Amino acid sequence: MADKNRVKKKASAYEYQEIEYNIKQTNPVVKVFIYIFLIIWAVINIFPIYFMFTFSLKSNDEIFGENIIGLPRNWLWSNYVSAMNTGNMGRYFLNSLIVTIAAIAISIMAALMATYALTRIKWRASKLMNSFLMLGLTIPLQASIVPVYVILSKAHWLNKYSTLIIPYSAFTLSMSILICTGFMVDIPYDLDESARIDGCGLWRTFFSIILPLMKPALSTIGIYAYLQCWNEFMFANVFISDSAHRTLPVGIKALSGAYTTDWGPIGAALVIATFPTLIVYIFLSRKIQESFIAGAVKG
Amino acid sequence: MADNNAITVNSIKRDKVKENIGKGVTIFLFLLPALLLFVGILIAPIIISVYRSMYDWNGFSEGTFIGFSNYKELFTNGSIKFLVSLKNALWIAFFSVFVQLPLSLFLALLLGRKVKGERTFLSIFFMPVLISTVVIGQLWLKIYNPDYGLLNRFLDAVHLGNLKHVWVGEVSTALGSIIVPTVWQYIGYHMLLMYAGVKGVSMDLREAAMLDGATKWQVDRYVVIPMIKPIIRVSVIFAVTGSLKSYDMVRILTEGGPFQTTEVPSTLLENMLFLRNRYGMGSTISVMLIVLCFAFALAITAAFREEEA
Amino acid sequence: MKMKRVVSTLLAGAMVLSLTACGSTAAPAADTAAPAADTAAPAADTAAPAADTAATDTASAGEPITLNMWCIATESDSNRHSYEEAIKEMEAEFPDVTLNWEAFENQSYKTKIKAAVSADEMPDIFFTWSCAFLGDFVDAGKVYCLDDAYQNYKDELPEVMLGNSTYDGKHYGVPLTMNIVGLFANMDLLKEAGYDEVPGTYEDFIACCDALKAKGIIPFGCAGKETWCVTEYLESVIEKSVGADTLNDIFLGRATWNNADVGAAVDTFQSLVNNGYFDPSGIGLTNDEVKANFMAGKYAFYMNGTWNCADFAANEEFFPKVKVSEFPVINADKASLGQLIGGPSDTLAVAASSPNAERAAEYTFELGKRICHYGYLDGCGLPAWTPYGDTSSINGLTQAVSEICANADSYVLFGDTAMSADDANTYLSYVDQVYGCQVDGTQFIEGLANDIR
Repeated sequence: MADKNRVKKKASAYEYQEIEYNIKQTNPVVKVFIYIFLIIWAVINIFPIYFMFTFSLKSNDEIFGENIIGLPRNWLWSNYVSAMNTGNMGRYFLNSLIVTIAAIAISIMAALMATYALTRIKWRASKLMNSFLMLGLTIPLQASIVPVYVILSKAHWLNKYSTLIIPYSAFTLSMSILICTGFMVDIPYDLDESARIDGCGLWRTFFSIILPLMKPALSTIGIYAYLQCWNEFMFANVFISDSAHRTLPVGIKALSGAYTTDWGPIGAALVIATFPTLIVYIFLSRKIQESFIAGAVKG
Repeated sequence: MADNNAITVNSIKRDKVKENIGKGVTIFLFLLPALLLFVGILIAPIIISVYRSMYDWNGFSEGTFIGFSNYKELFTNGSIKFLVSLKNALWIAFFSVFVQLPLSLFLALLLGRKVKGERTFLSIFFMPVLISTVVIGQLWLKIYNPDYGLLNRFLDAVHLGNLKHVWVGEVSTALGSIIVPTVWQYIGYHMLLMYAGVKGVSMDLREAAMLDGATKWQVDRYVVIPMIKPIIRVSVIFAVTGSLKSYDMVRILTEGGPFQTTEVPSTLLENMLFLRNRYGMGSTISVMLIVLCFAFALAITAAFREEEA
Repeated sequence: MKMKRVVSTLLAGAMVLSLTACGSTAAPAADTAAPAADTAAPAADTAAPAADTAATDTASAGEPITLNMWCIATESDSNRHSYEEAIKEMEAEFPDVTLNWEAFENQSYKTKIKAAVSADEMPDIFFTWSCAFLGDFVDAGKVYCLDDAYQNYKDELPEVMLGNSTYDGKHYGVPLTMNIVGLFANMDLLKEAGYDEVPGTYEDFIACCDALKAKGIIPFGCAGKETWCVTEYLESVIEKSVGADTLNDIFLGRATWNNADVGAAVDTFQSLVNNGYFDPSGIGLTNDEVKANFMAGKYAFYMNGTWNCADFAANEEFFPKVKVSEFPVINADKASLGQLIGGPSDTLAVAASSPNAERAAEYTFELGKRICHYGYLDGCGLPAWTPYGDTSSINGLTQAVSEICANADSYVLFGDTAMSADDANTYLSYVDQVYGCQVDGTQFIEGLANDIR
């Protein structure tokens, strides 16, 4: 769907339009309304973060009733200590990081290779194969949990990092291929031709010409995959039974007991699970948004 | 057989066959990792599910083959509530498509106009997407809480106490209580998708339209929206299939209650598998879910194609 | 000395449990339970020393092995401490056994253990709920029979306590603590309505509720979002109307749900709801929220499991206000005091697939005994095992529950534990509708009679 000319022109067009086409020209009343709307919406969207943060510093009494949305009366930093100590959150965080990164890496590699075969080598069934792989976009994760568990356990493949890495990369694969396709069709086919003339085989063309050009795609795929993997609960709960390999969502759930629940440390754990993402997001937001946008335009 | 052919043709052909085989092997090797993952983790389980959906099986002892009885029971047994769950999922889908997406589009168009602080707004609007649904759900529970929740307190403050409800506990409001946060959380996601499209629309085009006397709204309506239709299509597909798969928010807010009126297919599926020990029926629901998601994706694609034609 | 009396009376009470076993042939066990009560008292005295020697005799036999265990004693669970203590002790007693244990959140554990059973990936020792939950696994042949190992523990673990984990006459589970449904009352609020004691008869009880209501105090708190909380109320009302035996027969499928008395009892319960005795916002709350409300003084009564004793005792401000008692009798012709809802449900079992099943079985008994011991000391519930050691430090609420149990003559296990998974969920969905007044008593009994196979 990306119109190459359009993309190329984008930069110059931006500068040009700055004079003509921007909000400054809008009727001031409308302008004020637009800003009020945007600011209200922004507050609504920041509120959960504020809520989560204050919630993590409160006692049960305040959380359930006395003081739900105000600032904590006593700032219970001890909630963080207990989340880190008893909850083992540091370990779970690391596990989540390992699993997510590895899953993204595998997904990207498999997707790049598959996309190359689908878009840059001409063969009859490539369209059909593509649609087949796109089936994955619609399959609900929970539908396959028990069969996958049986397959993995038959292969004696439980309680390892790879137990989660492989299913996660499989579930993000379709999206990755979709995005890759968008990027790869933008690479001029002349490049392949000239590589062929220079005597490059398909493999060398892929590794030395296509791969380096696909760099911008990586962060886009990474972000989409990250959104799918980082908070995944069901697979992580069922497939991993030793706490050494547990991931964050399961760790957070394990904090809440059957009969008693102390919510402060749970809030602290939620903050530990969420804030690193948010901080990275804030620092890299421009880059991340651009990648995300790139994904949308190409996909 | 090649012996019957002329030598030259023969050798060319042989080269070609060789080349084709080589190409075939290469294609296969390039596709192999993806196919292994895809077939092993996604397709094989579906096949197993289809097979298991024909059984009355509790998941660990011997099962009995019962053909399509599970499928029949799904629609005839009133206590399974599959039709209710389907109806709920479709309501969520409806609100996603007709409330969430228009809002996303509106925000995307606004931000696409070079508003001051565009990037900051964009970052903030996207944040809920990054926060786990568990956190969002907990937050909304506090908003809905009948005694000390924000919503009821607000209604009291503006002297509308008679509008107070036990939001997640009453049949009339429970589904709505699920739809609001679900729709809200992913507005940012679709907004960013659409914003990307809006930014991709050539400025020359917009200006040409403006010079012809069009207002900004008209430009958006007649120039920008038609150009980002493909992205809107992707958004619609994601919104609908995502709604059919919705799970977390329901589990946290209502647990499918009251009286199972807010069940969705995924919560039913989990109940069947892990609470009721009806693995066969659970498989049946998952097969139905996959079929539905796929059917909707096809239907939406077809609908958009029709409109373009 | 008072404690000693409580313990022995408790035991006597325990012995009479008409805990009816789940397996089809287990029914007679209930009938034979009563005579056993006579011999129970002396056993209590000898039990304590036996406990000390049993462990040392059997310890350190054989080469080092590793056992895996899954349970639900997560970090914030009130049972966590008793598991930790028990395991610490076991490590000293059984140096040749390395135990790797993992705790999971209650609800996700159910998912996990079932997936593990269907894939034959069970740990050696696993936590389970008795009756139907464990029964499904036993039927599938996935659980190791504990009959042989039990021979060594007969003196310390009364056989009636195994009723809920006995199938076709064979024992498959090691019970830990047991719990009953208690009527917790906030005495401060009752005093405001002019009551110094929890009323003993149903008429007085209703009058008390009315008095509370007149004072603007909500009598009952109940979490409608978690249907099991509703059953804590409903089952007590039914039991105190139709009697323990009738309810037990219905739960275990020996009698039909279509019983007019049950229908009338359900109507009685609904009249409590319709009279406005229940907090109307309860329908949208979780149990954690309701419990927090009760502790904050929002409700006069809270009917729930006696495992709450530990939490109530831990709250210094609230503890002096709370009292536990039994729900009053509604129909004295059919029911009487001493008929309780509850019984041992928390259970450890050994997987048939365990390569060291025999030693795991022995280990499980020893571990179960200690978890029970420390759980009892912590006030997490009543012991299924004969208590040993000094129990005087136990909180007053748990002691009060012991007294109630000491006078008990029959127990009906929680309905959703007693019934098979599928039936239990059908049952819960009807209970849900009763609480929401979507169906009345007649529709309840007829619907269940039709829908439960």
